[in-house]
Amino acid sequence: MSALLELQGVGISFGGLRAVDDLSFSVTEGQIVGLIGPNGAGKTTVFNMITGVYRPKTGRVLWQGREITGAKPARIARLGLRRTFQTIRLFAEMSVFENVRAGCHLAARQHWWEGLLGLPGQRREEAELAARTHEILRRLDLDGVADAPATSLPYGVQRRVELARTLAGQPKLIILDEPAAGLNDAESAALNETIFMIRETGVTILLVEHDMNVVMRVSDHVVVINFGRKIAEGDAAAVRADPAVIEAYLGREDAEEVAA
Amino acid sequence: MGTFIQQVVNGLTVGGIYALIALGYTMVYGVMRLINFAHGDLCILGAFVGLSLLTGAAGSGHPGAALLLLAFVVSIIAIAVAGVVLERIAYRPLRKADRLAAVVSALGASLMIENGIMLVWGPQVHVFPAGLLPATTWHFAGATISFVQVMIILASLVLMAALYAFVNHTRFGTAIRAAAIDQDAARLMGINVNRVITSVFIIGPGLGAIGGLFIGIYYREAYFTMGWTYGLYAFIAAILGGIGNIPGAMLGGVLLGLFNAFAAGYVSSSWQDAITFGLLIAILLVRPSGLLGERVAEKV
Amino acid sequence: MRGAPLGGATGAVAGPVIWAAGLALPFALDSSWVSIAAFFAIYAITALSEDVILGRAGMFDMGHAVYFGIGAYVTAILNTTLNVPILLTLPLAMLLAAAAGALLSAPLIRLRGDYLLVATIGFNAIFVLAMQNDPGGITGGSDGITGIGVPSLFGLQLESQSAMFWLDWVVLGAVLLVMRNLDRCEFGRALRYLKQDELAAGTLGVDARAVKTLAFALGAALAGLAGTLFAVQLSTVSPSSFVFTESVTLFAIVIVGGQGSIPGVLLGTALMFVVPQIFRGLAEYRYFVFGIAMVAVMVLRPQGLLPRRRAVT
Repeated sequence: MSALLELQGVGISFGGLRAVDDLSFSVTEGQIVGLIGPNGAGKTTVFNMITGVYRPKTGRVLWQGREITGAKPARIARLGLRRTFQTIRLFAEMSVFENVRAGCHLAARQHWWEGLLGLPGQRREEAELAARTHEILRRLDLDGVADAPATSLPYGVQRRVELARTLAGQPKLIILDEPAAGLNDAESAALNETIFMIRETGVTILLVEHDMNVVMRVSDHVVVINFGRKIAEGDAAAVRADPAVIEAYLGREDAEEVAA
Repeated sequence: MGTFIQQVVNGLTVGGIYALIALGYTMVYGVMRLINFAHGDLCILGAFVGLSLLTGAAGSGHPGAALLLLAFVVSIIAIAVAGVVLERIAYRPLRKADRLAAVVSALGASLMIENGIMLVWGPQVHVFPAGLLPATTWHFAGATISFVQVMIILASLVLMAALYAFVNHTRFGTAIRAAAIDQDAARLMGINVNRVITSVFIIGPGLGAIGGLFIGIYYREAYFTMGWTYGLYAFIAAILGGIGNIPGAMLGGVLLGLFNAFAAGYVSSSWQDAITFGLLIAILLVRPSGLLGERVAEKV
Repeated sequence: MRGAPLGGATGAVAGPVIWAAGLALPFALDSSWVSIAAFFAIYAITALSEDVILGRAGMFDMGHAVYFGIGAYVTAILNTTLNVPILLTLPLAMLLAAAAGALLSAPLIRLRGDYLLVATIGFNAIFVLAMQNDPGGITGGSDGITGIGVPSLFGLQLESQSAMFWLDWVVLGAVLLVMRNLDRCEFGRALRYLKQDELAAGTLGVDARAVKTLAFALGAALAGLAGTLFAVQLSTVSPSSFVFTESVTLFAIVIVGGQGSIPGVLLGTALMFVVPQIFRGLAEYRYFVFGIAMVAVMVLRPQGLLPRRRAVT
């Protein structure tokens, strides 16, 4: 199994602060990899560097062996890499259906003039993509709220909608930025199931998380960072027992979770 | 050489006027991220208010200088009040709304003021009375410098220095600068942002009224569409210097005045405007934040 | 869901019915009113073209009269100096306007909104000044070009005001169809995604630069189309028809009517262009009242008079 996504010595500074330093890890096809670390460790910054929001100062990001360091978000999406946001960036003025349909944007082959003239080929494609969207809504149990304004729904449901939108693009790898943020225990457990279900469909997953209930239970492989540097790596059990990891979390509420 | 000096003097005079008007645009934009399209019209309203006082009192025997001073004072007060009223009615209700709504409101206010001037004073070109200021001229290296020009240049310098001192060396001035950098943080620090905004709509239009009245006195005429012409130039000056940046507006005004004077003097004057707009586009493409850099409210 | 009377299934039927009824106007009104109706059609097309750029793509174009003017001048010049038939100049006018749109927007697309706005004002000013200065002697300077011919269709000369109105009205109908299709195709969707959240749209694969440039070119092309019709209607073109004030009016129509809303833009056009024609007797007070109305509408209803309905599936 080859590495789908690979970071080699990636680093970035903001002002005088070295936010991420010499970070290297890889994600193999079919894996679920978790990236964890205390608050401010630099996790979201790592994501932003992979997905083209920031450009790394040092190091390289490789996708299927080819360099994509600093590529723009639109190009990253075209390569089959999708992401969710920590703050859930759903389109507020659109329904659940329209939001998920947005994920199919790259699948639309219609030319702009075919759309403006309303040609039959374009009409057909619209119907196909609408059907695809409905299928995903059904699979993620969202068909009941398809017409509701996306941001009027409970937070847990909005998370699912964002996930559905990400999956609609039939990506090879998805990056989930704190998917359990704001979820209660029941919703977290449901999220775990959803993540496994996504992996069944052949999608590789990289997630950043705080919540140990989620990340330790779903990840095949865990990478731990603190102050922008990798401090441990391995499977969930090994990482949990690693003294460096325990020390990083020591003195904080999470220490009890790690020791549990 | 004489032409060169002449253009410099002409340029500095007009530049001083542009600077005074540009300051109004830049201060409002700095704090509110709003292009106050009605500003130019407010400035010209200042010219008309002054004009009415001067022509109304002409021939009543008052010495020219005292009357002129009174005209300035009345004009400044009137336009400052108008500025505050404008902000209350047209901009304050739209603080939370889509920015474009405020833009259209500003355009509407501009139309109102411009056409209001036309309805009250009439669409014709109005002439300023003669003899307000001594007609003294000096000759220097082949150039002719008039009393009016010297007065405008000196007054502009003094006013700009005073504003600079106020903004940089007083507590309230610091409050204004803080609000321009981060309105929310300023509020959290206990700065009364509403008062800052009101003050900006007093100072900006106040200075602009002086600029407008200078235009009337210098060119000895005023007409209701001048607001757009001079307003646009002053706005270009504000952008040239860096929108939101107060020294930038001063620098931009002076530079634009000089640029205009030289363009008219050395290149054809029918293409003068086109060249000025070309300059604007060039700035926006190469260095949109202006010569001294923009300083605006950060909308997170 | 908001029960907008002009949306959904009702709108799908009401729209075409109203348009079809409009065809009967020349039988009901006298020629001066038909002329006003013709101008309404022309300005409506222009306003809709501004909406593509401002209301849908979210780019602050306050110099849109340039493309309107390019279309008008292309037709005027080709027809009066080279005797090109009017309807043949139409595609050329649209193409040149679109090219200008793509070219002018290219360096501006990455600019922040307010800077883009000011740059478009600059382009508008340069265009008008250029036309006035009559480079190469082809634009006729401040007086412009007169004696533009009438369009002919299958050998039939469309000379009468009614005939010209029908041409304008049919073109308006076509443009309305295109706008409706825009709402329902991927390009239109991409514009909506970009306008609401450019960052999120990027992660979904939307190429912001390409989409925005296309929107600019499309808006410019439609404005150029309207320009041709305008030149024919007046049989004259002069720089004063394309000054900054016209651009401001188009900008205001979109915001006052409702961004991205076809009924809103049409209503805005009617209020801004047609109503003043009706009250020509009170001409002096016209713009003053306009100004007050603009402020009032924005303060009372910042989302516009007929804002875009929430979901268009």
